[in-house]
Amino acid sequence: MVEQAIIADKLTYSYNNLLAVDHISFHVAKGEILGFLGPNGAGKTTSVKMLTGQLKPKDGKAILLGLDVAENIERVQSEIGVCFEETNLYQRMSAVENLNLFARLFNVKSFNAYSLLARVGLSGREKDRVENYSKGMKQRLMVARSLVSKPQILFLDEPTAGLDPTSSEAIRNIILEERKRGATIFLTTHDMMEADKLSDRVAFMNQGKILALDKPLNLKQKYGKRALKAKVASNKGSLEIREINLDTPQTAEEIQKLFHNEKVVTIHSEEATLEDIFIKITGRGLTE
Amino acid sequence: MNSRRILVLLGKEFIHGPKNFMFIWAIVAPLAFTLVATLAFGTLFSDKPKLGILDEGDSQLVIMAMDIDSITTREYQDVISLKQATRSGAVDMGIVLPQNFDEIVAKKEANTIEAYIWGESLAKDRIILPTTIANLTRELADQEVPVEIITVTLGDEASIPWSERLIPFLVLMGVFFSGLMLPSTSLIEEKQKKTFEAVVITPASISEIFIAKATMGIVLSVFMGIVILLLNQAFGANSLLLVAVLFLGAIMAVELGLICGALIRDITTLFTIWKSGGILLFGPAIVYMFPQIPEWIGNIFPTYYALQPVVEISMRSGNWSNISLNVFILIAIDIILLFFIMLAARRLMQRT
Repeated sequence: MVEQAIIADKLTYSYNNLLAVDHISFHVAKGEILGFLGPNGAGKTTSVKMLTGQLKPKDGKAILLGLDVAENIERVQSEIGVCFEETNLYQRMSAVENLNLFARLFNVKSFNAYSLLARVGLSGREKDRVENYSKGMKQRLMVARSLVSKPQILFLDEPTAGLDPTSSEAIRNIILEERKRGATIFLTTHDMMEADKLSDRVAFMNQGKILALDKPLNLKQKYGKRALKAKVASNKGSLEIREINLDTPQTAEEIQKLFHNEKVVTIHSEEATLEDIFIKITGRGLTE
Repeated sequence: MNSRRILVLLGKEFIHGPKNFMFIWAIVAPLAFTLVATLAFGTLFSDKPKLGILDEGDSQLVIMAMDIDSITTREYQDVISLKQATRSGAVDMGIVLPQNFDEIVAKKEANTIEAYIWGESLAKDRIILPTTIANLTRELADQEVPVEIITVTLGDEASIPWSERLIPFLVLMGVFFSGLMLPSTSLIEEKQKKTFEAVVITPASISEIFIAKATMGIVLSVFMGIVILLLNQAFGANSLLLVAVLFLGAIMAVELGLICGALIRDITTLFTIWKSGGILLFGPAIVYMFPQIPEWIGNIFPTYYALQPVVEISMRSGNWSNISLNVFILIAIDIILLFFIMLAARRLMQRT
């Protein structure tokens, strides 16, 4: 039987009369990466706050590593690492001081801040004040801080937002390394490509509800349209696009016709992206 | 509640707090005000207490007083010149030793000394000189002897020196600037920079964070209170009781600071409230600054119950019986504020 690291059971939260999270239920297996996707105001952050013990649910419960979060906050929080979207480092401290402070709060014995900083690519700048770091460096330090206690569950909120491709790739590699170590990763992101690349399963959240939760491939098969896209040279010399749906009985015949009747310049398969599916399910984009 | 984590957070406050402008300001501002006041009104480099003696007999006490380095002693030949010297401030206290003073002391009988006090003399001198006379009498008799000192104030009695009038203000400033402003600015800054959120997600609880900030505030607040009283040479004789009262006052300041820190969104708002609500904090100091204002008016300000015991012990040689009621009220205020802190903390967690 698969051991569950996170169980959300009808989690509900409202701010005054505004229902932010509406009875959501899901589970994340140990060692799994769950991509948690949704537009701003969908209820993602409130959900994460309930899962991490920052907010007490108005209804339902969150269970992490078999412990009811509301009743075991200290034990749960000693087993999780959280990387926030907004930079919340001690700016007047150095990177080493930041990490050492959190290591002491987690009571981590024999902690080596330098090796962790090397892992996130901050070697040589360990003793600089954080206020002198670039955004990418701060973000890498935030990720490093969330790893200080070698957490069993890692909550990452937009870990690569606004970063250059190199920094983003470095963070993605760390996420995969952490999964390899056995950590469960709850990844909140707007970046559909990233979610697709990293997540074992993705959940689409909108208006406080989870509208879909499955493996990316399954979602694409269920909601998406597979197609072939070809660029062909017309008689006038310009390029025209031909699209062939791969899921109809006439597909083979249409492909044959294409190659027989037209001058194909380029051809490639095209599958639906998570963003297409998200728009299809929710009727709105992630950035709306 | 975990004491190890509280110590970790407290260490952070003390090691990294001084990098904060407010931390420096909370220490420098009250000290600067104190130095300016003591320099302007001459108490910092003031002379030793001056004692005038008219010896109607041939008392050894005069010679003994002359030998003491910590006071200046002058002998006068008649009551008129002694009174004149006292009235003009040439001496802080003038005493008249009766003809057979030493004999009465030797017989261990009750003795009476008439003393004239300069109306504008400093409180510390009014404490030091009678204490010195009592000690000298004890030395003379070689044991405890009852001496009654009957005082008559000469000169401008209503004119309390500004250096003394300002002490309550400086003490309040030192205690409340550190006690109130440090925890509140520290908490608000952590909220604004979201570091508070990062810490509460660790096993550290909000109460541990509050205790660490409160401890830092209390330590600095008591320290500043002591330093300001020492700089003003107004520490009084009952130092343990004085420190205990400063401690209770510091708790009140810190509790107000934590409530402000939890409820106020930004530093600008805090300073606006500090400026507009300052009268509530410094009202009692204004009452002490202007003796024309009846002292009972101070009772309507919560800070009066922290200040009155300090003033009583440090400047008026008061003891427990003079301050007990107000100390109990102060303790009650401290306890009530604790409940408000719990409410504010709950609200803070919901907003984080």
